[in-house]
Amino acid sequence: MSTLIIVDQPPYGNWAGREALDMVFSLAAFDQPAALLFTGAGVNWLRKQQAPDAIGQRSVEKNLSAAPMFGVEEILADAASCERFGLGPEQLVSGVTLAENLQDVMNAHSNVAFAG
Amino acid sequence: MTPLSYTLVITGAPWSSQAPQSALAFARELLVAGQRIDRVFLYGEGVLLASALATPPSDEVNWPKQWAGFLADNAIPATVCIASALRRGIIDDTEQARYELPGNNLLEPFGIAGLGEWVEGNVKSDRVIYFHGSN
Amino acid sequence: MTSTQPANPTLHILNKPPGHPRFETCLQAIQDGDQLVLTENAVLALADHSVALPDACKAMKADVDARALDEQARTGTIDYAELVRLTAEHSRIISW
Repeated sequence: MSTLIIVDQPPYGNWAGREALDMVFSLAAFDQPAALLFTGAGVNWLRKQQAPDAIGQRSVEKNLSAAPMFGVEEILADAASCERFGLGPEQLVSGVTLAENLQDVMNAHSNVAFAG
Repeated sequence: MTPLSYTLVITGAPWSSQAPQSALAFARELLVAGQRIDRVFLYGEGVLLASALATPPSDEVNWPKQWAGFLADNAIPATVCIASALRRGIIDDTEQARYELPGNNLLEPFGIAGLGEWVEGNVKSDRVIYFHGSN
Repeated sequence: MTSTQPANPTLHILNKPPGHPRFETCLQAIQDGDQLVLTENAVLALADHSVALPDACKAMKADVDARALDEQARTGTIDYAELVRLTAEHSRIISW
């Protein structure tokens, strides 16, 4: 029984993406298979070298790169959304797999949820 | 037929969204249909549903009190996620003492706990339904 | 067309209005055999004829009536009891 958490909201405008990360990490902490999918404006979480100090927030880049170590199975990004936001492979944080077909990704998991 | 067990997750706040209303209407019908509610879990902005201080005008629906009544009447476990709650100022007496805060406002019968309770619902309940906000 | 085995029939519960990015993502994710339920602001899709809705689509009556959309109900409407029944019938449910 595997869970896919989807992030479709962009970073920093609200806490939904961070709360999605918390869900995925919690699943992994309890040895539950979990994967994270970024799509739509959510792919902007995956842009390298974010520097949110001046807006009083922290980058999630370290959390994302630590995810596999904590047992998160996959970090996926919708390829079409990456293209839409000009995110080439060189601009993506490491450890992200591009997904060409969202239906395929969703079909691979028995549970699919958003944080909000 | 054996009842199905449900975990209900509310991530939308009252008045900022319809989530508490839709969830309550659904929850009431779940019980009428003979199904079971394992737990109601408030996450993200949904934690505001557990504020004992929410005071809408007397001729409007008081969503926190409506939910508290439903949970108490049916002995349904209900949890606010601690990380979401602390951040947004939903505090019980334990957290008030821990952080030396001027007050506490967690509405009974809600309890405060971590995401582990959501994970447990994910594993054990037959169905997990989310009531999200409008973002 | 998907290249992997489709999942069990899925119930999609959508509460975002047309124009919200997640509305479009939800509609693109729906596969043959799935059921869509429009709740809350999503019922505005009934009045938005630029939106193509799948055949297997219902709208929450309470939300349709609240917004005075009844005459435009081009899908059927359901009540909360029927939504409960749909959730019991589908082992796979996505709340959008």
